[in-house]
Amino acid sequence: MLIAGTVPQEDLPLIKGTVRREGDVLKVNDYALPCTQGTSAMVSAALTTTSYLGLEPPRVLLVGDIGKGKGSRELYQYLIDRITDLSPRVLALHYCLPIVRLMQKFYSSVEKCKKKPLLIADAGSMYAAKAAGVASGFDIFTPDLSEISFLADPEAVHPAYISHHLFSNDSKRIPELIKKAYSNKAAAKVLLVKGAVDYIAKSGEIIETVEEPNIPELECIGGTGDTITGIVTALAYAELELEDAAIISAKANRVAGQMSKATPATKVGEVIDYLPSVFKENICQWSGVCIR
Amino acid sequence: MVLNWIKKKASTIVGDKDKNKSAKGAHKGTGIITFNNVEEAMKAEKILKKDGCYCKLVAPPPHLRKGCDLALEIELVEQPVIDRLLTDKVEYNGIHPLTGMKELLEVVKVTYYEKHTMVKSANMKLVFDNESGIIVNISGGGCPDIPYLYTKLVGCNVMDAPEPRDLGYTLCALMLSRAQEECLSLWKEGRFK
Repeated sequence: MLIAGTVPQEDLPLIKGTVRREGDVLKVNDYALPCTQGTSAMVSAALTTTSYLGLEPPRVLLVGDIGKGKGSRELYQYLIDRITDLSPRVLALHYCLPIVRLMQKFYSSVEKCKKKPLLIADAGSMYAAKAAGVASGFDIFTPDLSEISFLADPEAVHPAYISHHLFSNDSKRIPELIKKAYSNKAAAKVLLVKGAVDYIAKSGEIIETVEEPNIPELECIGGTGDTITGIVTALAYAELELEDAAIISAKANRVAGQMSKATPATKVGEVIDYLPSVFKENICQWSGVCIR
Repeated sequence: MVLNWIKKKASTIVGDKDKNKSAKGAHKGTGIITFNNVEEAMKAEKILKKDGCYCKLVAPPPHLRKGCDLALEIELVEQPVIDRLLTDKVEYNGIHPLTGMKELLEVVKVTYYEKHTMVKSANMKLVFDNESGIIVNISGGGCPDIPYLYTKLVGCNVMDAPEPRDLGYTLCALMLSRAQEECLSLWKEGRFK
């Protein structure tokens, strides 16, 4: 499993390695990364999941970028040049500047891999994949409500430019938006739409919804969407069916929110800390994977 | 003469063939800055390249042609930083997406919790404490400046928090600024309890 994305440290060079947790921080080689919103939260959740399942920890490809785009460009270029050699079984792309031309080049490189990696995208990488017209070549996207509106808009190149008639704050419109996203070829094979009700869709059809436990406060917490992406990446790496991985991720995030007694002021690290307990109590029943 | 050469070069680069490409979406993700004269377009190109922003002199498509026949193609997601770099230094008519909506999404939604208020603007959400006015969380977004802005804004009071549009670089930061403006307005008017 390889997770690629940016972290908000301007001077961090492109680093590659296996991630480990030391106290409250993630360590890659000698670099320490705080577990905050974004790629770090996603990596933390993936690592927590692989640790519980007894799998090898995620390999990561991280670079500093505070929005200027230099790190993102370096990341794209590295993947364009090396993806055929790296050839991960699962590749998750996360926060980065959505640069459409580079995403198109990256996808062309992926198509040259002897065995195409299972591709997961969220955040800026998902924006770029959609705008680049390569979304249907991805296996899992994890949009929220505004982002499914973006995927449903054939012309939008960023959620800031969604057509008013498609932008929705009403989760009841999600089924309609999912259909539009698939018909526009702007959806991955599996969509996990995060919201008050989580929708899991495959090949254009909604196959499951998850709405319990209902923890509205999770929407406030920066990084709780990232944790879902991290969990689903690890479960996909564990070779669960993608739709099952998506359903379990949605459930696990909600239960972790419940266990942490989440408030709008809770930090994402507090939610991630409960994931091992969530897995211990539920994953056997949810997945049939009964390891402890 | 030099200016004519540049115009010709720009037309050759994009020309009719590239206009078709735009129509088909080959340049999705890009935007166009339009200018009143060629000198300003060249000045802008120099400033943006110096700061590492992608840009390319092009002939604007007919529907965006305002002023001179030279425009700058940019990565639309970098609109806020480009706006900041050019303001007061270059005269330009505007920044326009090549496809889709021509105006930024203006919809703002407010959700009230027992002790907190969340304001959502497009894909960005900002949450503050009703008692103290302290920003307690930022969620949503996908551009790399959002985790950075999280570290700069969370813990600040809505009254004196830095503006995301001043620190950020992307459209996500611009949407976060809109959410912050609404938070400030709610806080000042006490419309959050």
